[in-house]
Amino acid sequence: MGNIRVIGPRSSGKTTYLAALAYQPEQTKRGGRAKNYTIQALNDETRELAAKAENIIVEGDSLEPTGLQYRTIDELPFYSFNIDVNFILGKREGINLAIRDYPGEIFDELELGLANSLYQEFIDECLMKDVVGCLILLTEWKKGTDKSYSRVLERFTELMDSHDRANDLRLAVAMSKCERGELWPGRLDPEVDLFDVHLPKTKATLRAKIPAKNLRFYAISTFGVLRRNDPRPNRVDEMGTDGRNSVLREARRWKPYGMIAPLYWLSTGKRMKDDA
Amino acid sequence: MELGVVYIGDRSTGKTHLAMELANPNNEYVKVTSLDYENLKQQLYDHTTGEFRATGAEQATYDRYLDILVRLPTGNRQVIVDWIDTPGEVWRKTWQSDNPNEWNRLLDTVRQSEGILLIIPPHRGLNFKQGISLDQFMTQQQWCNRFDRWVDFFRQDCPKARHIVICLNKADLFCDLQQEAFQLAYKPNGSQLNWQQRHAYVLSRYFRPVQSQLKQINKSVSGLSVRCFITSIYNRSLLELPWIYLGSFLAK
Repeated sequence: MGNIRVIGPRSSGKTTYLAALAYQPEQTKRGGRAKNYTIQALNDETRELAAKAENIIVEGDSLEPTGLQYRTIDELPFYSFNIDVNFILGKREGINLAIRDYPGEIFDELELGLANSLYQEFIDECLMKDVVGCLILLTEWKKGTDKSYSRVLERFTELMDSHDRANDLRLAVAMSKCERGELWPGRLDPEVDLFDVHLPKTKATLRAKIPAKNLRFYAISTFGVLRRNDPRPNRVDEMGTDGRNSVLREARRWKPYGMIAPLYWLSTGKRMKDDA
Repeated sequence: MELGVVYIGDRSTGKTHLAMELANPNNEYVKVTSLDYENLKQQLYDHTTGEFRATGAEQATYDRYLDILVRLPTGNRQVIVDWIDTPGEVWRKTWQSDNPNEWNRLLDTVRQSEGILLIIPPHRGLNFKQGISLDQFMTQQQWCNRFDRWVDFFRQDCPKARHIVICLNKADLFCDLQQEAFQLAYKPNGSQLNWQQRHAYVLSRYFRPVQSQLKQINKSVSGLSVRCFITSIYNRSLLELPWIYLGSFLAK
């Protein structure tokens, strides 16, 4: 079983991403092109998350932040999936994933230097030896963000080092919410068209610290766009929330992009053809 | 203690009556199983005046255990919360300064609650039905000024509120209930509108004067976006909506 952690700043879409994974909007629809993977929720928490996707996201609202309602790491939700990937010529491969969703505050705290013992606990757990990799979701690119992400990730690599994980922890670094018009065209080659363009410093920091074989860049869009030839984002931003809360625009067109490839790579170290 | 959902709002806006009516056995998708409607009515109704009693300010909060079944898209789900009622009197500045300890206790309760339902009355700028005397309502300007103070309350006193629901109550006085319910109604197998669209619909028709204030609340409160509703004890679909909304998040 591949243990994976999902980290990223507040409102970077971590829980929504996992909810979409648990709910599988396309599997619940009839017709459409068969996908090259199937997902099964393996525990109650994951099934509960799938129900939330159906009761909240499909109904046009956003999930609550995975905030400070958790007092110890054991209270944090632990999701468990089985993903069957179908390859050409009928070959199949199943991977089991256990994924822990961390509150965004932890990421933010990294920049300030982990004053809180609870955050220290989170990090210790995040960097345990049986964790094969981290999915890092990043979401902003406005002025100053690149610098701040890069500081946070530099700090994270130091922690990897001090936990003796510098050379054996895979990092899948993804730009989330890629349905946004500025990002969507860059999804096909995210390292060059998203990270070099919007977060060059962040990328350079990671490249300098992490062995090339353990670092990959991805583009993820949990909501996707309306149609293949109508790439308007399938989302509505809420008034006055500065983009923190966005909801699905058309539930029946919900088609996430790039959800599986990073997990597959984190878990197996092998690349997967695009899963859109 | 259970999760709490607290009703706040000025005097005579119908907080208690609105909450009580939720227990009416003639329900659609929200069924209260822990309270007996007739019994509750007996407790809250004043037979001598023929009206519901004002909730007394000798206590700042009144808690009742509420066990509800809400029919969500994934099926019937149980929601167990404390229904916390507040007397309208406590929202007056004078009461707050006369009773600082009770006021602080109330603030703690509100801060700890899962959801806040703010019940607000109609104002004179709405399109009232014939025969309704406008004198009993605030002018639109007064109403907006009062709303500004609610904005301050949310920003200063509960910046971590998780769910804020604002109900413009007594909708029977100023709109065609049937027609609005037809537009807004919830259906577990696919509604005409989703939550964001319902909110946008209600906002553009009934909350225009306070649009910028709502924006301010969203900016300064860390929880989810505010949701606006119109409610009336005379229309079950509209009455249930805020609870179906809250139920989606609070369901076990």
